[in-house]
Amino acid sequence: MADVAESDFLLATRGRAEELGAWVVGAVFDARNALAFALADGTLHLAGTTGDWKPVTAHDGAILSASADMQEGWLTGGDDGKLMRTAPDGATTTLADYKGKWVDHVAAHESGLRAAAVGKALHLLGPGGPLKTLAHPSSVGGIAFDTKGKRIAASHYNGASLWFVGAKEDKPRSLEWKGSHHAIAFSPDGTHVVTAMQEPSLHGWRLTDGQHMRMSGYPGKTRSLSFTARGRWLATSGAESIVLWPFFGGGPMGKAPTELAGGDAVFCTAVACHPQHEVVAAGFGDGLVLIAEIGSGKVVPVAPPSGSPVSALSWSPNGALLAFGTEAGRAGIIDLARRP
Amino acid sequence: MSQTQDAQIPVTVLTGYLGAGKTTLLNRILSENHGRKFAVVINEFGELGVDNDLVVDADEEVFEMNNGCICCTVRGDLIRIISGLMKRKGRFDGIIVETTGLADPAPVAQTFFVDEDVKRATKLDAIVTVVDAKHLPARLKDSSEAQEQIAFADIIVLNKMDLVSADEAAEVERLIKQINPYAEIRRATKSDVPLDSVIGRDAFNLARILEKEPDFLSGEDHHEHDSEVNSVSFEVAKPIDAEKFNAWISQLLQTKGQDLLRTKGILYYAGDSRRFAFQAVHMIADGDYIGEVKEGDPRKSKIVFIGRDLNRPQLRRGFEACQVEG
Repeated sequence: MADVAESDFLLATRGRAEELGAWVVGAVFDARNALAFALADGTLHLAGTTGDWKPVTAHDGAILSASADMQEGWLTGGDDGKLMRTAPDGATTTLADYKGKWVDHVAAHESGLRAAAVGKALHLLGPGGPLKTLAHPSSVGGIAFDTKGKRIAASHYNGASLWFVGAKEDKPRSLEWKGSHHAIAFSPDGTHVVTAMQEPSLHGWRLTDGQHMRMSGYPGKTRSLSFTARGRWLATSGAESIVLWPFFGGGPMGKAPTELAGGDAVFCTAVACHPQHEVVAAGFGDGLVLIAEIGSGKVVPVAPPSGSPVSALSWSPNGALLAFGTEAGRAGIIDLARRP
Repeated sequence: MSQTQDAQIPVTVLTGYLGAGKTTLLNRILSENHGRKFAVVINEFGELGVDNDLVVDADEEVFEMNNGCICCTVRGDLIRIISGLMKRKGRFDGIIVETTGLADPAPVAQTFFVDEDVKRATKLDAIVTVVDAKHLPARLKDSSEAQEQIAFADIIVLNKMDLVSADEAAEVERLIKQINPYAEIRRATKSDVPLDSVIGRDAFNLARILEKEPDFLSGEDHHEHDSEVNSVSFEVAKPIDAEKFNAWISQLLQTKGQDLLRTKGILYYAGDSRRFAFQAVHMIADGDYIGEVKEGDPRKSKIVFIGRDLNRPQLRRGFEACQVEG
């Protein structure tokens, strides 16, 4: 991408970027396509393609994790021990206070569920408050709801636990595999769970028959996992290209992954699959952001390298907007909607 | 990765048996008026309160790595905490990690060699072990952890000196030096050591390895050992064959790594005008060139092992065989 002119990046013609001054932990669109950047200085920045961005102080300390809240607004977990909700108008509410313990991971489902991982505990909350606390053998490394919000998976040391959210008796299905697991993803149809490991490699479980899937060969740790809309591909960071594993035709077992947008000897640090099309956005260690069409391998440059790794990347649910953030605090939004 | 990195944050690891005075030292470091800010990672079951803005509770989760190396363990909680702390770089100048009294220091140290995020953001400054001058001799007899904490130490705070006689003090120092003659011993009462003797030591910097002459005890020839853990060192005058050395040390760490707690070496390779520094924690090794040899300096290669069941003649023969023939 070194030979691409600045003006050829979509950011120049269809987007805007700001320097927000702190590590961007999350670029999060809520279900209504409203965007907030969650920063390590405890602030959220409510952002759009036009108008002023609005800063909101949500935490006294760093935001460690951020997600969209149930129907609208944002959910954040901080090192101040709090689980906070920020409404689309910027009003903040404390949903829970875990007394100074770090809230490492948060997630929500539109059906009316919120989840916060605090050490070994995974707290589930509903619109009215706490529902239950699920205990794990070691600290939770990542959490993910399935598409329907019926189950939640939590990764940890030596595997992952799969919980039915509505179960009367809380006993998880244990997905076992030796080692330390962190980032975790559910396939959109709910049939597979994949984790990223310390090693660095990925591990997957086919839930129908417990089949293990090992996906290895990464030069770096995978931090970001994203399935394409219909679950045919799993896009991953952690290599000098976007690594995509085929989840069709018997894969990923025995299949080589597809690699896209490689060649710059810079690690891919974040991936996000488009919510409808087989298109993946990727951020790299130098700040470069691009979009690649999986079928053709065609690459479109989005944002030029800014010198700092891309730490957050996501699509709006309607697929028209892409947002990214970097460790150094650069945050951008790009409007990809068809123009009349 | 091609991006340039900010300066790495130094991390001091504070170990020591229960009641040795670790928390006293920690509070002393934090309360002294030095203008530096520390993030402190303490274990959940700490004895005393710690007064600091940024205190993180750790759970001491020791994880085995799936890399075929049984002694390769890391502190999973530390990886998570350091990744979190790094997101607010600039709020502190250093990190202090306190371990529980019974902790083996190896997983903490190995975390700084193994995890790419931790390596990128931080550097291990020194392992500081606080020991109780009165009770250490008994601890060394009944606890392998106490021996390991001495073996891993770069600095040993020999605490509670007011409770021992001059003879007892000399004896406890002798016991320490038998395990680890390379550690710097600082006598103290109520952990009253100068801050700069424990912070900012850069002891894991390859360029500083074996900088300090060991405190080998005069006249002692290592025949009787009071503890399982001890140390040996060898020096050779002929240049080292890089390939032979790599083959030997890799094999040695593979097979004996569990018993080799710390290994350090300075090597002069044949036909190379630079010095090569090498260190390992169990099986995990790290090495690099550390600059040109100065004119007139003796080109003597040296290697030190601190560990259990060290076979001195075998290690010596192995190292000597790495020399270039002729």
